[in-house]
Amino acid sequence: MTDPGTGAWPGAGTWPVGGYPPAAARRTSPRIVLVDTATFRQARQLVPIAVPALAGIGLGGGRWTVVGLVVAITLVSLATAALAWWRFSYLDGPAAVVVTRGLVSRSTRTVPNDRIRGIEIEAPPVHRLLGLVRVRIDAAAGGSSSAGRGAGKDEEVLIDGVSRAEGERLRTAVLTKRSRVPVPAADDVDGAPVQPDPEREEEFARFDNRWLLYAPLVGGYLAVPVAAVGALSRILDELPARLLPDVDGPALDPPVVAVIAVVVALVVLAAGAVIGAAVVNWRFRLVRRGGSLIAVRGLLTRRTTELEIDRIRGVAVADGAGMRLVGAARVNGLVTGLGDAQRRGQLLPLGPRAQAEELGRRLVDDPGPLTPHPASARRRRIARGMAAGLLVTAAGAVLTVTSGWWPLLVAGVVLTVLGVPLGLGRYASLGHATGPRSFAVRVGWLVRERAVLERRAVVGWEVTQSWAQRRAGLASVVACVGAGRGGYIAMDMAADDIAAFAVAASEPWAEQLVPGTELGR
Amino acid sequence: MAAMTAAPAPVREPAWSLPRTAIGLWVTESLIGVLITALIVGALLIWVPADLGGPVPFLRWAVPIAAALEAVIAVGVRPWLKHRVYRWEVTGDSVYTRTGWLSQTWTLVPVSRIQTVDVTRGFLQQLFGLATVAVFTASSQGTVRIWHLEHGVAQRVADDLAVRAERTRDQAT
Repeated sequence: MTDPGTGAWPGAGTWPVGGYPPAAARRTSPRIVLVDTATFRQARQLVPIAVPALAGIGLGGGRWTVVGLVVAITLVSLATAALAWWRFSYLDGPAAVVVTRGLVSRSTRTVPNDRIRGIEIEAPPVHRLLGLVRVRIDAAAGGSSSAGRGAGKDEEVLIDGVSRAEGERLRTAVLTKRSRVPVPAADDVDGAPVQPDPEREEEFARFDNRWLLYAPLVGGYLAVPVAAVGALSRILDELPARLLPDVDGPALDPPVVAVIAVVVALVVLAAGAVIGAAVVNWRFRLVRRGGSLIAVRGLLTRRTTELEIDRIRGVAVADGAGMRLVGAARVNGLVTGLGDAQRRGQLLPLGPRAQAEELGRRLVDDPGPLTPHPASARRRRIARGMAAGLLVTAAGAVLTVTSGWWPLLVAGVVLTVLGVPLGLGRYASLGHATGPRSFAVRVGWLVRERAVLERRAVVGWEVTQSWAQRRAGLASVVACVGAGRGGYIAMDMAADDIAAFAVAASEPWAEQLVPGTELGR
Repeated sequence: MAAMTAAPAPVREPAWSLPRTAIGLWVTESLIGVLITALIVGALLIWVPADLGGPVPFLRWAVPIAAALEAVIAVGVRPWLKHRVYRWEVTGDSVYTRTGWLSQTWTLVPVSRIQTVDVTRGFLQQLFGLATVAVFTASSQGTVRIWHLEHGVAQRVADDLAVRAERTRDQAT
């Protein structure tokens, strides 16, 4: 903390905001007024007030009323956008980013540089037209004493509508000023901390458009349209028959119609998935610049995400059932204190598995091949796979006996039988490995994920053993980490291996788990 | 190696057990739960006509039996089982607990990774003079709760942990 005397900024609170020169605050580009007018960004907030007001006045209909209304709304939008622009300013000082805004009551937000966890630059379509970008600054909220319930309580500062060059300048400026050594006592905030050659770039991955063909197999895309089709067919069922169009057409066999419908639906779904992936991942590039990884992507909205390499605690390589068929995978970085981790942490969207593995090894030490789990784990997975089916079967049996309605019984039996291959598949996924500096766990079948984490990432262990697991000599262990999903499970390990695994996969404190060290200290 | 009965626990057992007042608290909680279940089952028996056909006649005797069994276990067995399972320990460098009854959970968090320590007292806990210490880390899953300690003990444990966490916190989150 340097010189707390000058830290008298409004809203600075207890943060060490030291040594500000009263530099002139910066403004966003006036062109943002156009963007906001066109998108009704501020005016949208007035809708809840405007609608009842208009309804109260009553509208006489007619063309001129409509024109007048459109003009009035646009004017309101323009006025509010201009006001918002006029009252907004920001300043990237040597120790903090300060944003001032507010129409009537001014609010000043100060985010110390050492709390900033990442900067994202977005360029939505309208912004791109006018050469503007939106800068999103991610910061950890408050001190750890007020952080509340663990991770995920981040705040965000939005600086909307600066020129692209200013956006880049802001990012470099903030990231250079942020102290590399996160120890407050040794903080030389005034001096420029050493930055390892920020200009050199090293490319880690580049999107190949052929990878778009993987998209239809991701599965996540498939669920939504299928649900939509289901809902639609239900609506059609419930419509009175006379409302349905009379399709006379050439008489087709129902099976032929069904096949055609399914094929068309599949083609549409696949095309939709490819287009969706293209919009999000277009010209994806991952480069390393200095101490950061920078991911750029997007067709309509270009998005630049910056992740600090120091904060990367591991990687998760996900390859679902569909992706495994074609050897595809995606890579997520497990980064401490990253909001919206699923989207922002993505380091390789849908690429070939070999490349995904290669990227993962580059970021975190590979702990070696996975050790499979004991045979009793296979029995348990199969039993768990069949459990849902058995439950349905039991309910179906009751129904068949009591009311003679048998379809549920049949469905239950089918589900039970399908549970066997599902259980086998889920068992084949299970595995864990420990290396000198990292460890890995893998779980899942339809959505399979192998997480590789550094030993220092672990902030706690949670061992669970159900009654059935105790009988089978198994137990599960969750490595709690302050990154990614927060916990990564090694499911159904041999109970005897748990303590040794935990010790090998984290720091010495985990020796507390080893049986026979009662009251260690 | 795996004995069928009383297989050894996968990890060490924490040293200290909870005060016996916790049993009273659990019994009270169970009694409240049983009361609510009884009301629901009673409503089912009174308002669902027996001649509805389908699985209703079967449910009319199956549900009360299941509820009665649940009640006996919840009030007469589970609190004592829980008291045997729930254990805790604060050592030089970590907080360690075991919770559960049929399924058991062991949680270990090193003091150096603690971010926040809370003491909470629920309504029933206040009646029994108990409190829960909750220890939070950077991980949403790495939370340790030491349930039902005597209030004074809980406060001392929390203060001690907070002070030590402040001293030994490291940056690796």
